[in-house]
Amino acid sequence: MVGMLRMVLVLSLLCALSGFVLSYLKIVTAPRIEEQVLTYVQGPALARVFTDTDNSLIADRRVFDLDGARVTVFPAFKDGSLLGVALEEKGKGYGGDMGVMVGFNMADDTVAAIGTTTLKETPGLGMRVAEADFTGQFSGLKAPAALSAQGGSIDAISGATISSVGVVEAVNKAAVLYARLKPEIVKAWSGEATSAVSGSPKHRQGE
Amino acid sequence: MDIFAIFVSAIFVNNIVLAQYLGNCPYLGCSKEKSVALGMGGAVIFVTLLATLFTWLMQKFVLDPYGLGYLQTIIFIVVIAALVQFVEMFLKKAVPPLYAALGIFLPLITTNCAVMGVAILVQREGYDLLEGLVWGLAYGLGFTLALLLMAGIRERLDTCRLPKVMAGTPIALIMAGLMSLAFMGFKGMG
Amino acid sequence: MSVMQDFTKGLWKELPPFRLLLGLCPTLAVTNSADNGLGMGMAVIFVLVLSNMIISMVRTIIPKKVRIACFIVIAASLVVAVELLMQAYAYPLYQQLGIFVPLIVVNCIILGRAEAFAAKNGIAASVADGLGMGLGFTLSLTFLGSIREILGNGTWFGKSVMWEGFEPLSIMVQAPGAFICLGLILAGMNMINIWQAQRTGHEPEALKQGCGSCQACASADTQCRQG
Repeated sequence: MVGMLRMVLVLSLLCALSGFVLSYLKIVTAPRIEEQVLTYVQGPALARVFTDTDNSLIADRRVFDLDGARVTVFPAFKDGSLLGVALEEKGKGYGGDMGVMVGFNMADDTVAAIGTTTLKETPGLGMRVAEADFTGQFSGLKAPAALSAQGGSIDAISGATISSVGVVEAVNKAAVLYARLKPEIVKAWSGEATSAVSGSPKHRQGE
Repeated sequence: MDIFAIFVSAIFVNNIVLAQYLGNCPYLGCSKEKSVALGMGGAVIFVTLLATLFTWLMQKFVLDPYGLGYLQTIIFIVVIAALVQFVEMFLKKAVPPLYAALGIFLPLITTNCAVMGVAILVQREGYDLLEGLVWGLAYGLGFTLALLLMAGIRERLDTCRLPKVMAGTPIALIMAGLMSLAFMGFKGMG
Repeated sequence: MSVMQDFTKGLWKELPPFRLLLGLCPTLAVTNSADNGLGMGMAVIFVLVLSNMIISMVRTIIPKKVRIACFIVIAASLVVAVELLMQAYAYPLYQQLGIFVPLIVVNCIILGRAEAFAAKNGIAASVADGLGMGLGFTLSLTFLGSIREILGNGTWFGKSVMWEGFEPLSIMVQAPGAFICLGLILAGMNMINIWQAQRTGHEPEALKQGCGSCQACASADTQCRQG
């Protein structure tokens, strides 16, 4: 009986200790992890979407509330004015969800460019949706986009229709979000048009 | 993705041993005889299915709602370890014939990275429960297939004259390499 | 055995992946480049040294029957810590290694050393053992990763090292190359063993055939059951 009690005691003590240490570590590392994920997952896509900006898109990001869902928006400033914003949406691909970063021009609401973030498609087939030959087709487009087979202007990658459809789906979803968020976006960054030049302001997120 | 495609691709295209590098220890250790290979394969299929089920429920109803996703590793290994113990006790009492067939392989499975690997991969790929189970089953079958093929070759190799330095594990690994080369032929099927 | 011997045995006499055949899955999976091999090795060193240390510290208060459960909890906690730290400070590596970071917990080296060494020895010796084994594992992985990266990609740690016009054998960085390379390295280890045996006149010490890791894990498990 004493042995049994000791077993339970030692195990629970161990678990409690490990839980305590790990949750502390989690809290300490959480901001850094978020930064790293943004830099390495969203960063490359953002760099492709807006090639010429004055600010750090990641540092200036803001989270908007839309019917309870949190949407992160990355603003791109050029010469002191808000050039465009980028936001990420997911589309159903062949190997699971595909993340697509879609940039919109503030001036005429067209798609500036798109870039893929998380892909698990087949190499050589579905993976080719990440190539500029495919993503370039979206630049300058006004949503909704559609594949040429459905009467649109986007040529699907042969042999990878599912992946191509997934990207189009993500772009259209992002366009809907953008259209709904635009008033708030304009409001959020209107007063700070010059702040980007004089260094990125620290925004608090999740408000 | 439809269920059938998941099934076929998990067995052949993304074979757990030959393309995903999981479960290599039993692949090399338990492939000396076909009967042993079958027993091990059966045990892996059985435990993989159960582990997928329990870890999926765990993730969905405990980890995700409480934001404990970062504890996934620790929770999964504990669930799998406990599961294997219970399965062993249960089989011993309730289904002696099955225990006789799989029993000696069960203890090996806790530390078999195939089971843990499948449980984690199901979460990373974002499958629902049915897809996850089919996928786990297919991975188990793929494991059994690779193990059986290997055992077939190794039984024949026993009667061959091999250079001393190649005998045993080295030649088994080289054959695994050739087999994996052959399985790469399925890649285009995706 | 002295602390020094505890440390050095992992570097050659009991070199984990090549002599004891421990931890083969990560050995095969993450060695498509020298970088990845080194990164994986570092993660294993971290977990192994700390788990050996902690287990050696608490070995007297852990009841025999729940020994393995305790080891698993300790190892898994350290692996979660590695996952968090790696995400925070080496995210690209974390992406590259994929599920093999959480799978460190089922790496037989960790539980094997806990059971075979740390549970029976003092703190200094256990740390030395973990450091030696971990270093041996890291060097082996980096070695295998280097071979595969040089032949399969023409680069070493990302820098081009082969002559102009070198055609990379891309198969080397894929699954078949991993198996074949490891097979040849093990054959090389066998050759060295046989040569050494002839020189000293002893029977050649056979490479632990079949599944060293399975046996290690199995014996750990059966002991747990009996204990």
